[in-house]
Amino acid sequence: MKRRTFVGAAAALPAVSLLSGTARAQVKEIRMIESGGKSGESIEVGYIEPFTKKTGIKVIRESPNSLGKLRALVESGQTSTVLMELGSGTLVQAKNLKLIEPIDWAAVNPAPMFPEARNEYGFGYQYFSTIMAWRAGAKAPKNWAEFFDTKAFPGKRCLPDFPHYSLPFAVMATGVPADKLFPLDVDAGFKKLNEIKKDIAVWWKAGAQPPQLMKDNEVQYVICWSGRVVGDPAFGCNFAGGMADLSYFSIVKGSKPEDRAAAYKLMYEMSLPANQAKAATVVSYTGPSPELDALLPKDKLSEFPSSKQNKAVQWFQNAEWWAANGEAVNKKWEAFKLGL
Amino acid sequence: MNKASRLEGFGFIAPLLVLMVVAFNAPIVYMLGLAFWEKGRGFTLEHYEGLLEAPVYLRVLGNTMRIALIATLANIIIGYPLAHWMRGLGRRGRMIALAMVVLPFWVSILVRTYAWIVVLGNGGLVNRALQWSGLTDAPVSFLYNELGVTIGMANVLLPFLVLPLFAAMTRIDDRLLQAAASLGAPPRTIFWKVYFPLTLPALAAGALLVFILCLGFYVTPAILGGGRVPMISNLLDTLINQIPRWEQASAISTILLIVTLLIFAAYRRLDRKASA
Repeated sequence: MKRRTFVGAAAALPAVSLLSGTARAQVKEIRMIESGGKSGESIEVGYIEPFTKKTGIKVIRESPNSLGKLRALVESGQTSTVLMELGSGTLVQAKNLKLIEPIDWAAVNPAPMFPEARNEYGFGYQYFSTIMAWRAGAKAPKNWAEFFDTKAFPGKRCLPDFPHYSLPFAVMATGVPADKLFPLDVDAGFKKLNEIKKDIAVWWKAGAQPPQLMKDNEVQYVICWSGRVVGDPAFGCNFAGGMADLSYFSIVKGSKPEDRAAAYKLMYEMSLPANQAKAATVVSYTGPSPELDALLPKDKLSEFPSSKQNKAVQWFQNAEWWAANGEAVNKKWEAFKLGL
Repeated sequence: MNKASRLEGFGFIAPLLVLMVVAFNAPIVYMLGLAFWEKGRGFTLEHYEGLLEAPVYLRVLGNTMRIALIATLANIIIGYPLAHWMRGLGRRGRMIALAMVVLPFWVSILVRTYAWIVVLGNGGLVNRALQWSGLTDAPVSFLYNELGVTIGMANVLLPFLVLPLFAAMTRIDDRLLQAAASLGAPPRTIFWKVYFPLTLPALAAGALLVFILCLGFYVTPAILGGGRVPMISNLLDTLINQIPRWEQASAISTILLIVTLLIFAAYRRLDRKASA
């Protein structure tokens, strides 16, 4: 009797595991790693909500999205996380390190997108800009030469503690036009930064720092991400000469095929201009649809990184150059910081 | 009998031992190995060679030690008189003073560090008081430099120095000091010839502990340094999370670990002397 129950149980085992196998094939939830904050909320409101409504699949968000985390995920052989948000530079790095896989664009079948957002390895879902801003009341600079002129525009500066967000602007301040910026004259950039280093009070690592430091009147001029300052009467800002950049979603290497299929459906939701307009109500960063401008509030067009008027006066980050030279520049950056 | 009971005891600590080996020792060995072993290429020393060729990372380590030393000295200058003063208090006074020293332990280091921004910022309490009293016209830059980092680190680490020092000081027999006085020694001589030497081992041990903790500081330099005070933990963060060059980070960590272990060995020697 005892034995027979045992045999019966053993016979039932494969059937049970088969059942759970099919249950797993119907994905109930997928996991993504994104950059957090308002941007994460905008993903939730703009894309995840309509996606879950249509498919019944939940999306679990996690942050922050460091490249080290992705490397740890892939090297440990995980299969649970399928989507990873990457910057344009980290996308190339991740591709070179073989941490992400190509996107099956036929499976995504997206609505029309700007061409640069349709990367072999990444779905460019969000435009953001790195621009100059100042505390209301400070004299407004019109270009980078003026921004770096601490005599004519006195005040403390706050610059990104990332060479790829700070150096190009320093080079532009020496008179190099945007279309001749790359290959970047790194030494000219450091020379310019050295000239004004006494006036750079803080080098920021977190995007929330520059607006707060301006409000505290610790600094008067900053280089920061557009979404942190536009539309706030406490600040002035200028997209001219700013750097447009894209954030991407990529497919993590080793993730499950059924998770990927769901991820592609979520990417499709990200390509719809109506959803992008909803996301833009949460944060002033914009999606990759060329038709988006028509859906955005007219009086706010000047605040968005990819609206026609702003896109025209900015230049695009050169991710390939940074992927090839980033590490060497970073060593110089550390040496420069030691000399502050 | 004795041996058997010892083995029995081992059974109780085995789970903890396994946990330590699996969750702590094994990852550290793996981390140390990262710099020496590359997939598909075998043994390599190139990551250490890289450190020597471009010594900027080692210079950051040197800078870290310098700041740790400054913060430790600041701690001694504040902590020694404080502990000495506490020794002279009555029973209740000591309790209150001890509570005041230990209290900050209950507040998150993040909150304490941000609190310094409110206190020392350009529009902060101290600067407003200074300007109101007419001592300065322009705000004094306390933050976003080495001064700010030193203040923040000294604040966080003070209890680590004061508590052992206070314990050693209360153990000093008052009769020794009275004997010295009865032999005609002036107070200054009593302090330097009797009192100070008796506290020296505890002071050295506490200072080394503070120094070692300073080496690994991350939050305080990140917030109060304003990106202008390069320290090794913040560099490791860049190498691990952004670049990500774990092999290079492993080589630097190994050097940091060796330096820390050497200092810790010195600490153990002094600590044994202090408790003897």
